[in-house]
Amino acid sequence: MSKELPVEDSLLRMQRDLKRALQKDPQNVKWGMVIDLARCIGCHACTIGCVAENKLPPGVVYRVVLEEETGQYPQVRRRFVPRPCLHCQNPPCVKACPVTATWKTEQGVVIVDYNRCIGCRYCLVACPYAARTSDFGEWYTADTGELPGKLYGQKAAANGYEAHPATEYGKKWPGRDHDSPVGNARKCHFCLHRLKVGMLPACTTTCIGRATIFGDRTDPQSLVFEMIGSPRAFRLKEELGTLPSVYYLQ
Amino acid sequence: MLSEKNFRYIVILAAFGLIIGTWGMGARLLYGHKYMDYGSFVPWGLWVAFDLFFLGLTAGAYIITILVYGFRVKIFAALGPLSVFALLVTLLCEGIIISLDLGHPLRIYRFLFSPNLGSMLFWLVFFIAAMWAIYLPTFFLLLREQLVDWSQDEKRPAHKIYRFLAGGRSAYTEEDREWDHRRVRILSYASIPIGLLFFGMHGSIFAILLNRPLWNGAMTPFLFIMAALLSGGALITFLTYLFHPRDELVQPLARVVLGLLVLFLFLEALQFFVGYQSKVPNFVASLNLVAFGPFWWAFWILHLLIGSAIPIYILLTRAHDSKAVAWACFLVLITFFAVRLNYLIPDLAVYKLEGLQNAFFSHRLRTDYVPNLNEWLVSIWVVSLGLLAFFLGMRWLPVEAAGKGEEEHV
Repeated sequence: MSKELPVEDSLLRMQRDLKRALQKDPQNVKWGMVIDLARCIGCHACTIGCVAENKLPPGVVYRVVLEEETGQYPQVRRRFVPRPCLHCQNPPCVKACPVTATWKTEQGVVIVDYNRCIGCRYCLVACPYAARTSDFGEWYTADTGELPGKLYGQKAAANGYEAHPATEYGKKWPGRDHDSPVGNARKCHFCLHRLKVGMLPACTTTCIGRATIFGDRTDPQSLVFEMIGSPRAFRLKEELGTLPSVYYLQ
Repeated sequence: MLSEKNFRYIVILAAFGLIIGTWGMGARLLYGHKYMDYGSFVPWGLWVAFDLFFLGLTAGAYIITILVYGFRVKIFAALGPLSVFALLVTLLCEGIIISLDLGHPLRIYRFLFSPNLGSMLFWLVFFIAAMWAIYLPTFFLLLREQLVDWSQDEKRPAHKIYRFLAGGRSAYTEEDREWDHRRVRILSYASIPIGLLFFGMHGSIFAILLNRPLWNGAMTPFLFIMAALLSGGALITFLTYLFHPRDELVQPLARVVLGLLVLFLFLEALQFFVGYQSKVPNFVASLNLVAFGPFWWAFWILHLLIGSAIPIYILLTRAHDSKAVAWACFLVLITFFAVRLNYLIPDLAVYKLEGLQNAFFSHRLRTDYVPNLNEWLVSIWVVSLGLLAFFLGMRWLPVEAAGKGEEEHV
């Protein structure tokens, strides 16, 4: 019996793809994602991984898993559609922002400058995929009872998670009172802070079905490039002409 | 006509509104948006509807000032300063309520330092600023002569404040008068294109959004212009009745309001017709929300019955009764807020992706938005401030005295 696995884990290949992409001139890298709907089991691990990675407060979520039902009983089918920000190449949110607080980087990632955003929420209205959420300054631990001197009171609970500074965009965002990102529009950024240090996005590494594939979509050797070429590939609401960088496999 | 007793009632009512609204203002200023009920799927709520309402109300005053100072239509001359003042107060209310809606209102300077010239919202703010730049000096120039007069009247209370407002002048010469009139006329001409773009831009911020079937389309800016003319016209007609109750002023204005109301209803019917015929699911769902959703009464009872059918009946059957037509316009005016809310919320309140409603549970990620008490209290505070500013301004500033209609420039 062979001691090797018959198929290489796609994470290993994506990790190699990422390493190769990081050695390229950044201008020549275009990040992309492919989500294989046949592999998604609807476990929501990507959602939770993303929330934990970015220390997202209540009501703020970057990647949700939609549950679509088709047919009528007893001929019913269900599929799961993870929906991160689709990082459109023609992004309506960027055109909407009145103060250029959101833009597309040269690597095709749509990002937000929290310190520039005025919180008008026009980008939320403009996004066809509801991929942006607003941070209203809420805390998960707001209703946790305070038990002075105990390990598990409100303060301790908050310090254990949400009072920790988030590290989005490679910065520390400690304030959760009135300072940014409270009051801002927030969205998926392909975990740029992780990519910078050679780590795949949190949703990709936490996907237990390996349904999420990430990499440089201009690199012909990459798995993501290969998958985009699949006849199963499609994009959400293609008719709007937003040209998402996130593809789906039927 | 505004009697002393009614004036007192309005001021007391507005003061009461300011007091109770302070609770909501406190919640907003101390805790940000934490205790408001809009979320990420319905990101614009009551305050944005009020913003649109206030922006629309400026249209009547805009038309009057152009007619009076741009085209010298003498019949409306007495309404000139009143119109400009009403426009400024509604712009003030709009500015306050939309600032409160922003996540970071203190970053408003960003419009200057990092503008996005491709954003409709940027241009809307630009034209709002342009309206201020036109109408604030216009108001000053219209009132300056009276301000100088009042500042010289030692018996008048607070005459020193009028001296300050008049820029310290103690005399007003014929040359000054000519200079002021010329400037008013120039500003009035400038306001024509600026105002058209300003009113067109209201609808444009919605019209360009491809994913919003109820809003997306070239008719939206036109619908917004008509809505603004209708609500603004109703406001000016009612104010005319309050401050200049003359049949030859109120009745022509009321006839214009009637025409605008019929035209607006026709456009609205067209929108429903096109929407239902297109059978685009999200479009139909939004229209169903307007007509048969939980707030069906806002559409059928407030807008169509109280805000349209009854005023049309009054305007047709009692066209020569200035009091009746003024109150008909008042009905159009106050129920028009329901039109704004009914236009804004239903498109936002339809899930644009299947399964979104069950994907992640949070009260911020729902489409069943109902404004909460804090939002209403803040709105009451702003409306009360506007009422107080307007009625006290009419009392303490020479607005009525300035619009005699005898000036050379009209």
